[in-house]
Amino acid sequence: MTIAVNSQQEAGELRRPSRPRRRFTGAALAAPFAVLLLCTVLVPIGYALWLSLFTDRLSGLGFDGYRQVFTGLANYTHVLTDPAAHTALGNIALYALIHIPVMFGGALLIALLLNSATVRLRQIWSLAVFLPYAVPGVIAGLIWGYLYSPNIGPLNEALPFDPLGSGGVLSSIVNMATWQWMGYNVIIFYTALQAVPREVLEAARADGAGAIRTALSIKIPMIRPTVFVALMFTTIGSLQLFTEPMVLRTFTGTVTSTWTPSLYIYEAAFTNNDYGRAAAASVLLALASALLSALVMRLSARRSR
Amino acid sequence: MVFGTSSDAGGGSSRTLRSRRSLLRAASGLGVAALAGGTLTGCSQSSSGATRVRLWSWLTGMDQYVAAFNASQRDVHVELSVIAAGTSGGYAQQTNAIRAHNAPDILHTEYQALPQIVTTGGLRDLTDDVADLADGFLPAAWRSVRPDGRTWAVPMDFCPMAFFHRKDLFDKAGVQVPRTWEEFAEAAAAVRRTDPRARITTFPLNDGAFFAGMAWQAGDPWWRVAGDSWQVGIDTKGTMGMAGYWQDLVSSGKVAHTPTADQSWISSLHQGRLWGMLGATWGVGVMKRSLPTAKGKWAVTTLPTWGDKAVNGAFGGSAFAVAAQSEVPEAALTFLRWLSTDPAVPRIGAKVTFPSPAYLPSRKVAREAYKNEFFAGEPLFDVFDRAATRVPDWTWGPTSLSVFSSIADVLAPVPTGGTTIPRALHTLQSSTVATMRERGLAVRNGGRA
Repeated sequence: MTIAVNSQQEAGELRRPSRPRRRFTGAALAAPFAVLLLCTVLVPIGYALWLSLFTDRLSGLGFDGYRQVFTGLANYTHVLTDPAAHTALGNIALYALIHIPVMFGGALLIALLLNSATVRLRQIWSLAVFLPYAVPGVIAGLIWGYLYSPNIGPLNEALPFDPLGSGGVLSSIVNMATWQWMGYNVIIFYTALQAVPREVLEAARADGAGAIRTALSIKIPMIRPTVFVALMFTTIGSLQLFTEPMVLRTFTGTVTSTWTPSLYIYEAAFTNNDYGRAAAASVLLALASALLSALVMRLSARRSR
Repeated sequence: MVFGTSSDAGGGSSRTLRSRRSLLRAASGLGVAALAGGTLTGCSQSSSGATRVRLWSWLTGMDQYVAAFNASQRDVHVELSVIAAGTSGGYAQQTNAIRAHNAPDILHTEYQALPQIVTTGGLRDLTDDVADLADGFLPAAWRSVRPDGRTWAVPMDFCPMAFFHRKDLFDKAGVQVPRTWEEFAEAAAAVRRTDPRARITTFPLNDGAFFAGMAWQAGDPWWRVAGDSWQVGIDTKGTMGMAGYWQDLVSSGKVAHTPTADQSWISSLHQGRLWGMLGATWGVGVMKRSLPTAKGKWAVTTLPTWGDKAVNGAFGGSAFAVAAQSEVPEAALTFLRWLSTDPAVPRIGAKVTFPSPAYLPSRKVAREAYKNEFFAGEPLFDVFDRAATRVPDWTWGPTSLSVFSSIADVLAPVPTGGTTIPRALHTLQSSTVATMRERGLAVRNGGRA
């Protein structure tokens, strides 16, 4: 190993005398990125890991302040055995199970329609589909909240169930997120579809494939990598669901303070001042996101082989 | 300034050059200013010689109080940063700042949040600083800033609860405005008989501070300080009686259970579908803002009582604390004394809001200064003065804010019959005790020893 490196270095020095300077240039060019990565990603993650090992222990009446005590993995065990955290996870799983197929199905369908030769006013349609994404999440949440509210929104009376009640609130949140993110995915899929080579499509047509057959057997398989990347984004986004339920909380008590993992963390940190537990839950959520994305990427790799 | 001129100039190559140069100069100037600012923060003297005091608050009218204070003297200069209201982010911001050692000199806290903020260790013990003010305040407000006998904040205003109601509709329907909760239940039924779509009020199940205010009236404080430990009794007799009463009204549909003060609620008021509101002094402002055309239709009275015990709950009210980290506590206290006791404050308050000072002499000033043109019936200050003196003993706990959010959570399944209010309270009692013990606090489970 060492020998190999040495000989390489020697060879380098012989052939390119300016290499050390180049190396310095490389480091200088990478420095802004490295510094930003360090300050905005690595240090905060390290701090969260550090915090998650401690707890603020009060004593007596608690009015003489807290002592920061090392508790090892106690915060992690607390989160992992907390029924509220389990409920949050269950909610988010249900949400993802409904949201992801509905949104992906819809987005693929619309993208294929936009991509088909027969659509007129393509620009206007794609803009229209994309518009909800341009609405800030909190504003969208408020708009839907009002639409769902009794007395002021039409949906409460039009729907057979109460969109803010315990039976309806999950579908209401799925609807909000789907409305907001569908257009975004349509544009991603549509762009990928544009890149499908014409020759392949022409060959399919020459072989006698109709529009639907072409879509199912040519177009969708060819944009599969894109779909998987979008799936990864959506999976991570679902795990971190926060804005929609947070806004709906002001409209209904059905969305509890720990309804999703992100709300659970928010509640732990900013209502209970239990920073250690919040940090532990954040680390666990980040781990879950990483594992799920790895799983999705692996699925994608296997499928495309 | 320099940025403004350079961008205004535009056009012409020499101009562009000059403007670029001035931009550069401005940028370097900014850098220097930032450096200077950095070195100055350690020192609290501003250039004019006045001591600079930083204040975070979300109180309505605070900008005007601060302006008046700064204009009235030259020794202390208060700098106000308006932050989000308490549970909407203000408390999080303040406790985070305490943790990060950059808290402002003065922090805003409502009574119900004070003990929890004290547990951050970030507040200055004001016991000796303001001992002379002890007799000046409403007893309930003064007790609220002294949970353990030490004074942690200076009371500013105090919000006793009240029953706001549509006097015109009650009169027209011949329904008596209820004086007791027994009469209230009958009135609730009568309102629904008169108009099947109308309800006497909503009992907002998502509002923990409101629920606690109702429990306050019922007479069994949820927390007590017993020596060096907390005695926690949420599911004790008084609260359970209150809970059972409202459970009946909610499940029989005699009252609504939706949130107060959101758009849907305002719309119900406009349509005459809610004849009343259980609120507090701040309701005066809310009503006037939400229903500008309903002049003369509404009246206010003290909360109905349990039997003939003349007792009233409270719901909100602000106090201000000095950060332990503050390097200018004297200057901060100079402002706080002025804010809580100077007659100028209720006079300004009377113009921008409905003032309900915690300082007794200021209540007289407020009464004279405030012009009521909206509410019919008994004069507002008669009602609220009576209510304020009827507020009994109560101590807020060191985890009140978590408890409020738990209340909303445990009461959420009540409308669909998933639980009952009394059952939810047993859950709340055990989770509150468990959370407090987990934090290391000394806790005795149950009400009176």
